[in-house]
Amino acid sequence: MLRLIVTLLVLLTAMPAAAMDAEELLARVDRNLQPESAEMYRKLINIEPDGAKKEFVLYTLRKGRDKMVALFLSPASEKGRATLRLDDNMWLYIPNVGKPIRITSLQSVVGGVFNNADILRLDYGTEYEPTVMEETDSAYILDLKAKTASVAYDRLKMTVAKEALVPTTIECYAAAGMLIKTLYYKEMKDFGDGQLRPSVLETQSPLYQGYKSVMIYAKITRRELADEIFTLNALSTVQELR
Amino acid sequence: MSRTRLAAFLCLLLCLLAGHGWAEETYSFDLEEFAKKRFTWGGFVEAKGEHFEFNEEGAFALLNQYEDPRSTLNRFTSTLQLDGRFQQSLTTLNWLFRTWAAQDEAAWADDFVVYTGYASIKASPRLTLNLGKKTWKWGKGYAWNPVAFIDRPKNPDDPEEAMEGFIVAEADLVKSMDGPLQTLALTTVALPVWQGVNEDFGAINNVNVAARLYLLYLDTDIDFLYYTGNSRSTRFGLDFSKNLAANVEVHGEVAHIPTQQQKVLTESGSLTTREVSDTSYLAGFRYLSEQDITTIVEYYHNGDGYTEDELTRFYREVTDGYSLFQAGGGETLLQRAANIGQSGYGRPQVGLDYLYARITAKEPWDILYFTPGLTTIVQLDDGSFSLTPELVYTGFTNVELRARFTWLIGGEETEYGEKQNRSRLELRLRYFF
Repeated sequence: MLRLIVTLLVLLTAMPAAAMDAEELLARVDRNLQPESAEMYRKLINIEPDGAKKEFVLYTLRKGRDKMVALFLSPASEKGRATLRLDDNMWLYIPNVGKPIRITSLQSVVGGVFNNADILRLDYGTEYEPTVMEETDSAYILDLKAKTASVAYDRLKMTVAKEALVPTTIECYAAAGMLIKTLYYKEMKDFGDGQLRPSVLETQSPLYQGYKSVMIYAKITRRELADEIFTLNALSTVQELR
Repeated sequence: MSRTRLAAFLCLLLCLLAGHGWAEETYSFDLEEFAKKRFTWGGFVEAKGEHFEFNEEGAFALLNQYEDPRSTLNRFTSTLQLDGRFQQSLTTLNWLFRTWAAQDEAAWADDFVVYTGYASIKASPRLTLNLGKKTWKWGKGYAWNPVAFIDRPKNPDDPEEAMEGFIVAEADLVKSMDGPLQTLALTTVALPVWQGVNEDFGAINNVNVAARLYLLYLDTDIDFLYYTGNSRSTRFGLDFSKNLAANVEVHGEVAHIPTQQQKVLTESGSLTTREVSDTSYLAGFRYLSEQDITTIVEYYHNGDGYTEDELTRFYREVTDGYSLFQAGGGETLLQRAANIGQSGYGRPQVGLDYLYARITAKEPWDILYFTPGLTTIVQLDDGSFSLTPELVYTGFTNVELRARFTWLIGGEETEYGEKQNRSRLELRLRYFF
């Protein structure tokens, strides 16, 4: 009888985790990281081994699972540049060049450890599907596999904090199994409107020994946006939307 | 406090201090600094030093310097570029000015050019109206754009530089959709050519029309382009661009001009006008390797270019004219050759087939913001080419340093073998503000 009660108790405590499958967990992680339609301000900092820094400030708009545009506000040398992402498609608009050019997710418009896929990251669930989910006392561990070959990283190993349901660490692997970089989500912050999420994303890469890149989120606000904002024709006018 | 307690307290304090030092770095981000302003402006100042080694036997050196031949030239150029915008409700005023002054051992030159200056009215997210001087840069090619029907010719040696526009009225309609066709956009442009307005576009007293229909279809950018009017002959174009993988992009352009008049030097030595139907096309790719090396390769067929024989006739016209000039026979033949040069033979990339290749390495040897590169343009008909190694460093905030050296290599009566320069060294510093 006692054994039966203990078994039932174990099953009952395990139910919340078991009830949430990997896809649902990933969907909740995505929603906790950013609203479906929003504007945000981010600062990117590239830090060299000697401590020298280079900073970029971006104004970003996103809508749905596959649309994002980011405008450089600083430094002056980059001001007015805008990058657009529609699903797997990415473009860069440089005011001097005067037209958008296609870029690829593995390139980097800012140098340093972040590439374009990191800067214009869509929902994880848009690009990846979970293959394995494990559980520890404090975290879920998701193995995510890229849905298509055009995704920057072939596989992700995501550690998700159980309480907040946001990632703490993501290891990014190439198709050959090589670790390309590790992303660390840090410093939980209340962005208002029910948005409690990490405000700092740090990354380091074995390919860039001693270098570090950091992304700081200063403001995330829900905003309704027209689909046409996310087109090549609108790229030169993104700053009018601020 | 006993000594033991004091030691324990100090140990704890040291641990805390050490812990603080070891703890994660904190970052600041003050948004006030980036509050939106109605009026914004920026730009750059540039200082550029150039050293030219002239190809003294080349046709264009003979043509341009027969009165004052020289083997080298040093030039210093300073440039100021200003851009800005003023937004009031749905209307935005945009402008881009450039002014420069150059001093070399032969002359002083300066200029001020309004590259763009136009009013833009965003009537809705789907409709924008523009009025004023504007550039488009139609086409997907990096070095050349045969479909850029209403743009000035791009300089393939510096394709990312700003260009001067034309005065126009433009309407831009765009619609986003779900499904394989994600974006549909129609741009229509009215380009007048009147006295004092766009006179360098073509024949005056005409209003020309150009249009571009853009589709993002199956993750592919596709443009259908059209130009008609009496200032230039009617032309049709198509271009596309697509990412094949996370590190590969392919693109192409085709432009067809059913009827066009072209000046040509005949075998008999006379300059005549012939009517041609020509098709120009370009195919290229961009590839990023695992070592962060970006390669851009483009093949370009210039439909209204000259054959090797036609170019040879022009080069011989110049050398004959120079021989006559040296023999005391006057400069009549050289003047005639200069006029022929202005009729079309003197423009850049005047031949039929070209290959462009550019390789840049991002931050090699762990040097952040350092990008060395190598660019070549090969004239495939005669085998002559240019070769340009360059170094770019952007590690100082808002400063770009660029060093370039260009060799022009080719035999007699080849395109690059007859250019005015044999080599050119350039050191450029830009400060953005």
